[in-house]
Amino acid sequence: MALLEVRDLVVRFRTHDGTIYAVNGITFDVEAGETLGLVGESGCGKSVTNLAIMRLLPKPAGRIERGRVTLDGVDLIALPESEIREMRGRDVAMIFQDPMTSLNPVLTIEEQMVETIVAHRAATRADARKRAVELLGMVGIPHPETRLRSYPHQFSGGMRQRVMIAMALALEPKLLIADEPTTALDVTIQAQVLELLKDLTARLGTAVILITHDLGVVAGMAERINVMYAGFIVETAPTPDLFARPSHPYTVGLLHSIPRVDAAEGGELVPIEGVPPDQRRAPVGCPFAPRCAWRVEACWADNPPLVPLEPVSRLVATGPGATHQIACHNPPLPDEARTGRPTRPGFVAAPPPGAVIDELAVATPDVEATLVEFPTTDAREERR
Amino acid sequence: MTATATPARRAAPARASRGLWRDALVRLTRNGPALLGMFFIVVFVLAAVLAPVISPYDPIAGSLANRLQAPGTAGHVLGTDLQGRDELTRILYGARISLQVGVISVLMGLAIGGTLGAIAGAFGGAVDNVIMRIVDVLLAIPGILLAIGIVAWLDRGLPQIMLAVGMTNAPIFARILRGSLLALRESDFVVAARSIGATPLRLLLRHMLPNALTSLIVAATLALATAIIDVAGLGFLGLGPPDPRTAEWGTMLTDSTKYLREAPYLIFFPGVAIVISAIGFNLLGDGLRESLDPRLRR
Amino acid sequence: MAKYIVRRILSAIPVLFGLSIVLFSFIHLLPGDPAAALLGQHATPELTAKIRQQLGLDQPLYVQYLQYLTQLLHGDLGKSVINNRPVITDFATRFPGTVELTLAALLFAVGIGIPLGRFAARHTQGWQDGVVTVISLFGISIPIFVLGLTLQYVLSVQLHWLPTSGRLDPRTTIPSVTNFMLIDTLLAGRPDAFVDALRHLILPAIALGSIPLAIITRITRASVLDVNNEDYVRTARAKGLTERRVDDRHIMRNAWLPVVTVIGLQVGGLLAGAVITETVFSWNGVGRWVVEAIQDHDYFVVQSSILIFAFIFLAVNLIVDIGYAYLNPRIRYA
Repeated sequence: MALLEVRDLVVRFRTHDGTIYAVNGITFDVEAGETLGLVGESGCGKSVTNLAIMRLLPKPAGRIERGRVTLDGVDLIALPESEIREMRGRDVAMIFQDPMTSLNPVLTIEEQMVETIVAHRAATRADARKRAVELLGMVGIPHPETRLRSYPHQFSGGMRQRVMIAMALALEPKLLIADEPTTALDVTIQAQVLELLKDLTARLGTAVILITHDLGVVAGMAERINVMYAGFIVETAPTPDLFARPSHPYTVGLLHSIPRVDAAEGGELVPIEGVPPDQRRAPVGCPFAPRCAWRVEACWADNPPLVPLEPVSRLVATGPGATHQIACHNPPLPDEARTGRPTRPGFVAAPPPGAVIDELAVATPDVEATLVEFPTTDAREERR
Repeated sequence: MTATATPARRAAPARASRGLWRDALVRLTRNGPALLGMFFIVVFVLAAVLAPVISPYDPIAGSLANRLQAPGTAGHVLGTDLQGRDELTRILYGARISLQVGVISVLMGLAIGGTLGAIAGAFGGAVDNVIMRIVDVLLAIPGILLAIGIVAWLDRGLPQIMLAVGMTNAPIFARILRGSLLALRESDFVVAARSIGATPLRLLLRHMLPNALTSLIVAATLALATAIIDVAGLGFLGLGPPDPRTAEWGTMLTDSTKYLREAPYLIFFPGVAIVISAIGFNLLGDGLRESLDPRLRR
Repeated sequence: MAKYIVRRILSAIPVLFGLSIVLFSFIHLLPGDPAAALLGQHATPELTAKIRQQLGLDQPLYVQYLQYLTQLLHGDLGKSVINNRPVITDFATRFPGTVELTLAALLFAVGIGIPLGRFAARHTQGWQDGVVTVISLFGISIPIFVLGLTLQYVLSVQLHWLPTSGRLDPRTTIPSVTNFMLIDTLLAGRPDAFVDALRHLILPAIALGSIPLAIITRITRASVLDVNNEDYVRTARAKGLTERRVDDRHIMRNAWLPVVTVIGLQVGGLLAGAVITETVFSWNGVGRWVVEAIQDHDYFVVQSSILIFAFIFLAVNLIVDIGYAYLNPRIRYA
């Protein structure tokens, strides 16, 4: 049994404008002490997944519609509010994206750290304070004794994120969810904070779910990566495997949209066309189909399940030997993954069902021309 | 290139601003409370405009023989007042005064406050400083007290009342307009327009004012509610229209206070008229605010 | 912090200065001759000239203004032209009545508005929020005099629960010491009169407090909802704090800030509203005095009252701003 098991999790939001299909049945595990990267564009359901695990979805709009989440075998979704509250901070802790807004501006760092400790431990304030000093020292804040009495606005962004890390690790949780922990920081500070995070969680044996849109960040941090798109996991693999053999068109697209220093091997920048789908519509077919250059007819109607890339005798869910899985009807060939476009002779991305196909476009197969045919993004614009 | 063109088109300011108004209108027509507010306003305006058509009676002359008829008396749905005048008629004619004075006073406030605010917000610096200190002074005098002062000194009369009520709103409008102009000065699209060489006047008129207008429109709508209440308040304090026989809601209330025991309806009906028209503008103002700034919606 | 307070006090000075100019201009620049107005139908050219001289109206404007300012700085607000008493004396005897009324109204507005706003914010999806919204809509849409007269009719005339008007039963006499009725009755050792004074205070306080109540309710609701969406509240919940602690410590400590500012701004409205409330309830305070002065063309009384009201308004907001700074460490340690 893995530390965290997420099974077929479905999260939806009920808003004025209708239902938002945020997370559409995802399954994954996190092993004790393991670091899992959760990668995808904004709005792909990364953060929602983790708020759902913490049962912190915005009320009453956000609802867990289906699925199971267990931590050490305890079903988090069935847990009464008072018990899930006790687990928050103690068993699962969170660090958020913007350290500028994640700390309460009118309370001192001391108050905010001490209240976390006394909320879960039968500690006196003095003991809690001692622990807070120790923690601040641990995350590399100079003069922790005096700094404890400061207010958040008296710290720099990087220092605040260190405080957040100290607070999150105060009770040595089993799982730390870090939601874009360095996105709001300067590049030079980013590396320091990531290093600190890696170091401390390794020392404490804390499992980490690292949410990011930055493949560079996960590459150095995570042992395993889940790539998410529109509320689905589209590819999962151990980190070295994913970078060596990206196999879902979206992963290929992501890797090609970041500039790389080792661009010698034909790694030209290829942007992913279009925008993510409108999540106010129930997903039909593969969510990536409208933007995909490899799509075949089946992609429009049938959403492919997450299956092993190569036949395996036993599925491994966690650890460095985890099975490489993708959800794709027509995965790019290794050569195509390198160039970022389909190179099979005569291959044309399948037009959307029911679209009137320009004869000329069919006669002269051309990726650019077929892209013109998609009405999806436009229909979305009209409704804004 | 439909797909790739989309993000660029979304950023185009012209489309965004036209879209803003159209979207706001659509949202407004779906806003139940705002529609109710508009309904009250329509009733109020119709009462004011059609008063002579609806009522066969004279709002000023009555017969003492006919005084203090209870509501429901034949021919007098809302009864008659101390002078034997039809109460409904006086309420309808009272709507004329309230509407006229309310609208004109808010317009005067907009003209004075808007000008001050536009100058302060457009120029900034020392000009802004001087104007805003004047605004501070006016704001330091509590609302209706300023109006009372002005009417007391300028003597009673409808134009004086309009100016007095307008002056209570002017500093508020000035502050709002200046605030949004200053915020807009630093906004990305104005900086962008400036960087491609738009003239200051064009910047102000074409880029900043239309965007700053939204909050001013909301404030003006809400100010109409306060204006109606303030005008009635002045009337109640005996600072209403110079002719004491004029059908004005506040004045009608003062006249009736001594007969609270005998004829409470003479308090009730004008009171309801004031409250309903104030609710109408308050609901519409809130609705406008919500539809012009969808982020506010909860 | 000290620097902030000094700066705040200094910033109020030009406003007071400007105010004195505005009020001065009211009398001297606007059409209408105060001397003629004073005399009314008794005006003859000789008498008018004499009064003008007495009032210093024959001097150049700037001289008149400097005189006026010097007098003001010495606490001299002029004399009533009706009874020739110094304005400040009459003001002092009437002011406690207004303070009593205004504070009671403020207490009513804050004491009910804040819990009501929090309650509405906690139930945005339910009918409770709708009810609170309707209450506050009525609150801002009902003029003081309409609500006051309605309360008088229903609770006094019909139900006889509370007295109609005045500050005390006319048959009771209490020696005036502080002119605060609630204090004077206690000083006189008359708990029965104290209760009576309290009963007299209820209706005017409700009538006067209804608008601030509505505004405070609205702002509290909006502020709590705003803060509820802040990242740090999510952090607090993610730390496993109890909902109660999140509410009291993390939400309210921040949600208070805009509410405090708005409460300060309501004081202006309360002082102005006192003018009307005191008229409705025959309440012996500054407000009714001002209305009488207007009717009597007693300009100096009106002018001075407005000046004092504005001064109080500025002073209260100064105190509120300092309180705000104290509650908000971003200003306290800036």
